[in-house]
Amino acid sequence: MTDFLYPFIERNERDGGALIDDLARSAETKMEMSVALRQSTLATLAADLHAAADAIAQRFAGGGRLYAFGNGGSATDAAGVAALFSRPPSGRSFPARSLVADQAVLTALANDVGYELVFSRQLISTATSTDIAFGLSTSGSSANLLRAFAEARRLGLLTIGLAGYDGGSMAAAGTVDHCLVVRSDSVHRIQEVQSAVVFELWQLVQSLSEPVGAHVH
Amino acid sequence: MGSDMSEARREETPGDVAASLATAALALARRFAQGGTLWCWAPGAPHHAQHVAVEFVHPVIVGTRALPAVALDDNDTVAAVRVGARPGDALLVVADAGAPVVDTMRRAAVWGLLTVWMGWGPQPAEVAVDHLLWVGDDECARHDGRVVRGYHVLWELTHVCFEHPGLLDTAAEPTACVTCSDEGRLAEVIGALDVGATAAVRTSAGVETVDTTLVGPVQPGDLVLVHAGSAITVVEP
Repeated sequence: MTDFLYPFIERNERDGGALIDDLARSAETKMEMSVALRQSTLATLAADLHAAADAIAQRFAGGGRLYAFGNGGSATDAAGVAALFSRPPSGRSFPARSLVADQAVLTALANDVGYELVFSRQLISTATSTDIAFGLSTSGSSANLLRAFAEARRLGLLTIGLAGYDGGSMAAAGTVDHCLVVRSDSVHRIQEVQSAVVFELWQLVQSLSEPVGAHVH
Repeated sequence: MGSDMSEARREETPGDVAASLATAALALARRFAQGGTLWCWAPGAPHHAQHVAVEFVHPVIVGTRALPAVALDDNDTVAAVRVGARPGDALLVVADAGAPVVDTMRRAAVWGLLTVWMGWGPQPAEVAVDHLLWVGDDECARHDGRVVRGYHVLWELTHVCFEHPGLLDTAAEPTACVTCSDEGRLAEVIGALDVGATAAVRTSAGVETVDTTLVGPVQPGDLVLVHAGSAITVVEP
């Protein structure tokens, strides 16, 4: 790239056609990278995904609830996890909710005891040993997730963690029963493939659970 | 198998949407460059709207400028955009073709917003929207990362556009407003001023008074076609 030598060229640029072509090629490349990362991740994690899904399905069968959490884009993905399990497009509904959904609880905890504790404190007040803690992070090192997993482990919850890069502290903490790592250094590609991992988990949990109609809802 | 969704899954076709993402990104970057705000709405899945907004407001890539974006919820979205948006803003809707979003997007265009619809599944047959970005053939796309990928790439491309300022300060981006030469313009009725005679309406150019004698009494929220200062017909929703 020699663009920095000729900044006036950009300033005087008027033909958007060349840029549009560049953007379209870039979009295609990024999407192909995402597809490739998804395929390699789902293949690499196949056994881990089955084990995690089996553990989740057992918890649900035993009356457990799932609590999802994360920060930023991962907070929205946590909300997606809760929605997918509790209000699925098909199949069985499972009790699942996001620990970032209630602004009053979140801001009260952040203001009074610190942001590191916003998820762990909710687990202390809400969760029981039959439940599931489901945390999403791209770095794998968010302090409030690590605190939540430590608390969840202490309380006896099943702990599921999604991370990126090399798994970060989440992979090394010893508090996550199933740590599913999307090995990439792009936050965007990691989040996209984490969604695919969640969807795969959800499908597996559905297939491992008693069908609709076997229970009264 | 509890899920019948996996069967519906089709082969990936990233190339189909790449060109649409490119043109949408440049249009969106131009809106931001002129001071516009991005309004994000994902009916039934507010987390997608929040994800889009946080990408723009708090970029994960260091050195990337923060841009104004707002996530909407499903609580009277039309009213929220009507009161909050300004001409020059943009509305991104993340929804499938069956979602009740067409009226909102049409009104948004009347108010002077760029309209972008990111969706999946069967495509809408005919729709008045500036940019249609279809990120998957089946409804699994909403859950399995393809929608996320769509708005991530839109964000990434929008920021590439900021490296080309010469292409952004073209203020003469054509908008829906053709200043009443020989064409009709859509306008939204704010309220009747003199019932059956005149009304205040909102267009992409702002608030103006139009003659309503041809169409008779109008109600707030009615969409009317305006020609040469007169409402000539009320457009059915």
